[in-house]
Amino acid sequence: MLPIIHWNLISLEVLMTIILVMLVLLDIFLPKDVRDDWIGTLSFIFLFGLILFWIDQRDIRGVTFNKMFVMDSLAWFFKGFFLVVMVFIFAMTRQYFKSLGQRRNEFYLLLWLALIGLCFIASSADFLLMFIAIEILTISLYVLTAYLKSDKLSIEAGMKYLILGSLASGFFLYGMSLLYGVTRSTGFEMIQSFVNTHAMTPLSLFAVVLIFAAVAFKIAAVPFHMWVPDVYQGAPTPVTALLSVGSKAAGFLILIRLFFGIFAGWHPQWSLVLAILSAITMTYGNLVAIYQTNIKRLLGYSSIAHAGFLLMGASAGSMLGAAAINFYLLGYLFTNLAAFLVIVLFSAETHRDEIEDYAGLSKRSGILAFSLLLSLVSLAGIPPLAGFFGKFTLLMAVVNRGYIWLALVAAVNIVISLYYYLMIVKRIYVDLPINASPIAVSLSMRLILGIAIFGIVTIGIFQGPFLDAALTAVKGMYLFHL
Amino acid sequence: MILPDLSWILLIPLLGLGTLCVIPPDNISLIRRVSGIAVFLPFLLSIWFFTSYDPVRGGFQFIEKIPWVVPLGISYHLGIDGINSLLVLLLGIVSLTAVLISKPVTERVKEYHILLLTVIIGTYGAFLSLDIFFFYFFHEVAAIPVFLMIAIWGSDRREHAAMKLTLYLTLGASLSLIGLIALYHATGQNSFDLIQTQQYLALHPLPIEVQYWIFPLIVMGFGITLTLWPFYTWAPEGYAAAPTAVSMLHAGVLKKMGAYAIIRFGIQLMPQAAHVWMPIIAVLAVFNIIFCGLVALTQRDLKYIFGYSSCSHMGYILLGLACFNTISLNGVVFFMFAHGVMVALAFALIGFVFHQTHTRDLDKLGGMSQRMPFIAACFMMAALASAGVPGFANFVAEIMVLLGSWDQFRLPAVLAVLGLVITAIYMLKTIRLGFHGPLKPQWAQLTDAQTPLAKLPYVLLLAVLILVGCWPSFLIRHIGSTTNMIVASMHNSEQ
Repeated sequence: MLPIIHWNLISLEVLMTIILVMLVLLDIFLPKDVRDDWIGTLSFIFLFGLILFWIDQRDIRGVTFNKMFVMDSLAWFFKGFFLVVMVFIFAMTRQYFKSLGQRRNEFYLLLWLALIGLCFIASSADFLLMFIAIEILTISLYVLTAYLKSDKLSIEAGMKYLILGSLASGFFLYGMSLLYGVTRSTGFEMIQSFVNTHAMTPLSLFAVVLIFAAVAFKIAAVPFHMWVPDVYQGAPTPVTALLSVGSKAAGFLILIRLFFGIFAGWHPQWSLVLAILSAITMTYGNLVAIYQTNIKRLLGYSSIAHAGFLLMGASAGSMLGAAAINFYLLGYLFTNLAAFLVIVLFSAETHRDEIEDYAGLSKRSGILAFSLLLSLVSLAGIPPLAGFFGKFTLLMAVVNRGYIWLALVAAVNIVISLYYYLMIVKRIYVDLPINASPIAVSLSMRLILGIAIFGIVTIGIFQGPFLDAALTAVKGMYLFHL
Repeated sequence: MILPDLSWILLIPLLGLGTLCVIPPDNISLIRRVSGIAVFLPFLLSIWFFTSYDPVRGGFQFIEKIPWVVPLGISYHLGIDGINSLLVLLLGIVSLTAVLISKPVTERVKEYHILLLTVIIGTYGAFLSLDIFFFYFFHEVAAIPVFLMIAIWGSDRREHAAMKLTLYLTLGASLSLIGLIALYHATGQNSFDLIQTQQYLALHPLPIEVQYWIFPLIVMGFGITLTLWPFYTWAPEGYAAAPTAVSMLHAGVLKKMGAYAIIRFGIQLMPQAAHVWMPIIAVLAVFNIIFCGLVALTQRDLKYIFGYSSCSHMGYILLGLACFNTISLNGVVFFMFAHGVMVALAFALIGFVFHQTHTRDLDKLGGMSQRMPFIAACFMMAALASAGVPGFANFVAEIMVLLGSWDQFRLPAVLAVLGLVITAIYMLKTIRLGFHGPLKPQWAQLTDAQTPLAKLPYVLLLAVLILVGCWPSFLIRHIGSTTNMIVASMHNSEQ
């Protein structure tokens, strides 16, 4: 007998797929000379519709497809997260290609595909589905990264991402099959009950390490960070933004599902390893970021450092740790996307991404300078902005776990990161502009920037509701186990 | 009559800040006026709250509490006791004068006043907060505006100085944050509420081995803010480069947050560890007093002299903190107030001279008293106050700290007296070289402060110094109501 399928659990993904197919068909059948950005406009409308639909789904919880697909509080939280990310990415894409004058329809379609992959990752409760979802996301990201066919850096970035990404996929597959050998299942529920009743063996340790390596590739943790600088610099900026927020959040989502859920029974074995990796990752990212001259590359290294900070929450292995990761990502969403929006708007005018070109930005465009100031200060973790409370909750989690040394390493890292963020702030506000021509920002982009700033400040000052949301997402997680 | 809430002290500058954001940048006189009102009303409120605080009843008064982040036990919680009511008054005075003397700033005036108000809001918030989280939160709000103000409106080596100051202070703040979080977890009350933590820890002190490592984190962290030797180097450079208003606020008030936090979170919450660690701090305090004093002796730049001098004077605060008796703790709080007013006055006067001469070098100045008798007279009084001449508030404070430390730290106290002599030497030297002697021909065009409004900030600060110096018991009654309690709890912990 076929299992009963609860379609309402999966309706968001089904809707997205229908939208994607529809957009593909429209793209094929509508005349090619329709050069204006109708596909972007349609995408925006659909995206807002989906956000409303997502809000409507807040009480729908359950497992279906033979316990492969789950809609729990964590999945719901992250689906909303990814939808909001996509609003920003679509806005960036419109602006980005306006200045580039290239064909962009496929770009939107690939972004939709990436969104579908992200949402399936959020809902997978089986390693097979999770692998397929990750591949949907990653393959669309390979193409997106190499999208600028005439740009050498973009091709190089795509190639690097493809080779290293395939390696990570291989790790994941290998780890998954070993795990199947040990536990005789790919389903999370079966694996968790196995973990809870069996001690860790060398073989299962090997399997977990391989799977972790694949996740570490996604979140850009040392030593799986090698792809980050080149890919971040070479990829079209909206893709860099998606990699740094969407893809990283997906990685942490998997980390929470695996290490706060199914592998939580083996917690003592991996906690210290995660703590050490966290310390190395943040220190490496911050130290190398100091020497960067390209702003996208700098944000690449800074995103490695942030992965290190976020790993603190994972190493804490507590409810607060997981909630801190969620909260931090929420702040990171608005903060980092504001920074990338400014980069897109700036390079649309100047076609440059070097930090030295940002000299005197405050005299050229007040809103760009202010947005970049707020996002850099928030990345550094200074109140009253979102980044501060994120770091604060992460520190609380690790201190509670007893890793005082890790908290001290993080404290030193906050100072190091503040140095290079302030160097940019200094360029923007203190230095004189090389070219004093003002940079125009359209009303719609002002609106999007305004939303991002509003997010940064609101999350930073009224932390309560957001922390509650982050906690609820963890508490109601399928197979949550501590 | 409806009594005003403490929140208004924060809300009024915040409203002013919002108003400034919508004023067009070229309407400079309106910007100055709004900014002036935004600090004048809190100044009046700070006087009102200080005078209506009831020292007989003691404890925390005018309490407001709103739960903020319930799962972590964070609440927006304001209140004043004998210590922070005085510091709020200090900030009221210094912030008003800092805005008044900002008239020479003509470049990017709007941004300047927005940042200045942000610093002031953050500092008020830190002093008023009775929640450990919000203390830290407000305390860090000031960090970035100070960086920008030094880097944009500063003088020589401003970018380097701004970066150094911000990184040092952030390092200190992060270290102390870890200490505060560890304290929170060790207490196990799931609350950042200061009053609740105080009451709980008074009954159930933390195990000594836990206190033993949390205490130095907090004292080291906030010690950097308080220019504890050898972590003071950011201060002279930072103050020298900063625009006048920032030097006044930072040296006068923001720095005192370090001492305030050490009293509140270090000594009061972990008295057993304080008995172990504070003697070491007393030794470092002597280094502060003597070493920084000697460095000040060699300086030729007016701002560097007062920068090092303020580091040297922090030694008295640190020494007083190490003594655990009422008289020295009263002296410490009194010192924070007296030194804040004095150093704000000195930096304001230096700013006045610098604005006209564009130099602060003692070798280039000279004979200033001939062209600007009012400013010179004020400067002399500030210098004398700094050197601890009776009649000024600083004398009272120093004598209290020295009397209090005599029994416990005989040698440091003797050396601290020596520090007073060093201060007197370089202060007299500064007056002689800078303000007396023949007038150099290039300074013939200088003018004094002429209008009453121009003189007001200096007169106000000087009046406070003299008034408090002649009638200290008024302040001490306030301070004592709180310090008595702290010292009593420290002695309980000894038994």
